[in-house]
Amino acid sequence: METIDGDIPRDALIARLAAIAGSAKAEERSDGLWITAPLLDVEAMACEMKGLGCRLLTVTGMARDDGETTIIYHYVRRRETINFKTVTRGGAIPSLAPTVRPASWGEREIHDFFAVDFIGHPNLVPLLRPAGLKDGFFRYPDPALITPDKQ
Amino acid sequence: MPYTIPVGPYHPALEEPFKVNVRCVAETVQQVSVDVGFSFRGIELLAQRREWMPDITLLERVCGICSNTHAMTFCRAAEQIAGIEVPPRAIIIRTVISELERLHSHLLWAGLAAEYMGFQTLFMEVFSLREQVMDLLENITGNRVNYGMNCIGGVNRDITDPASAIATVQTMAKAIADDVVPAFMNNVTARGRMTGIGTLSREKAIEWGVVGPVARASGLVADVRDDQPYLAYAELGFKIVTQEGGDVHARVVVRALELLESIRLVIEALRQLPSGPLRAFEGMPSIPPGEAVVLTEAPRGEVIYYVASDGGRTPARVKIRTPSFVNIPALEAMTIGQQLGNISLIQASVDPCLSCTDR
Repeated sequence: METIDGDIPRDALIARLAAIAGSAKAEERSDGLWITAPLLDVEAMACEMKGLGCRLLTVTGMARDDGETTIIYHYVRRRETINFKTVTRGGAIPSLAPTVRPASWGEREIHDFFAVDFIGHPNLVPLLRPAGLKDGFFRYPDPALITPDKQ
Repeated sequence: MPYTIPVGPYHPALEEPFKVNVRCVAETVQQVSVDVGFSFRGIELLAQRREWMPDITLLERVCGICSNTHAMTFCRAAEQIAGIEVPPRAIIIRTVISELERLHSHLLWAGLAAEYMGFQTLFMEVFSLREQVMDLLENITGNRVNYGMNCIGGVNRDITDPASAIATVQTMAKAIADDVVPAFMNNVTARGRMTGIGTLSREKAIEWGVVGPVARASGLVADVRDDQPYLAYAELGFKIVTQEGGDVHARVVVRALELLESIRLVIEALRQLPSGPLRAFEGMPSIPPGEAVVLTEAPRGEVIYYVASDGGRTPARVKIRTPSFVNIPALEAMTIGQQLGNISLIQASVDPCLSCTDR
């Protein structure tokens, strides 16, 4: 049976990822595994990924039209990238920072750009946001700078 | 009695504009916090407002040192979304430029490290070699910085005289192998200044999620060129460099040995340069709806691009995570318990890039 890094059979790995609370769908793409999980239990995900020996690469935020933010947790398991895609609920989501150090700056950046409240973050203060701008300034671009097909 | 010294954001002890708040008892560091964001340019937001091709020029300016990495990684993401296959000659040329960029970056950093140690002779030797790399890059690309080599689907310029480039790199290889590497690895003064300073254990390296030479100096076998081979690294037989010490000296040794590996890769790639086109197509690309995560091993470590397309003329999202973004926070773990006077050398050993971090 095909394995990743010679330990867990691939099918078993995908089944474990898909079984994390809130996961809806797991699929293989050319750039790794993608788990779509609108109601992802992020703390359960962090626990499972630590158990699998995965490293958090980064966290991506992306504004949605409904005011919420798509959050993608990018992990790596040596030879493969594993991505969990979820959505904030009421503009908030639990923080990974108390248990996963590399999450701290990533979450602070998303707070700056998209005003996401990472519940439980020990130090959710601005990281990159320039003085004079409000949290979530990526959501409110200057219309004069938007290219025609985005208007 | 404890006291706090704010070092930075603009300070002669720092390579780049960030702030290290150091709390000490006597000369011993007890607590450290790091502030960044003094050079924020909003490049990710700008990238979502420009079309795909101008974005290559924009993203090349995320960093002045690993500029090729950023432009190339963005192009690779767009190519992945669009299913574009890059021609073999362009893949080899991208590999050559990537390793020349690493040579330049490591030599720049090695020169600064020599300067921080007060080793002026070595500084001059290293910077003269760095100049040769920049001359070679200028000969190939037309530019000493921001090389403008990448386009979606391939490269913009050819390497027309690989034999001459090989000769130049071989000359440099001798100076690096005979002078630079032994100076950093064996010189008693250099070793004495760096050994046991700013140690980051293997366990702490995992905990803080550090990448690149910082991780490899703490014994972690982690390099995107080996873990998820891209470009021509699998064919060229890439050899990963690690050390176990985790201190400033180990970080220096990793980079010094990586200089030799980069030279080997450049020579091998130039020897294998196949004939064929430079681009998969001519003209403007059309990027369909989709998303991609792409990893590249920049000189300072792993770079990640998440790029999403909604099929429009501009990307829907460009997220960039640079190696310094995860290596700089780990300064806290490296500096606590150290002497205040070593802060400058320890931060330099991470090779922090605030242009990358702040974007």
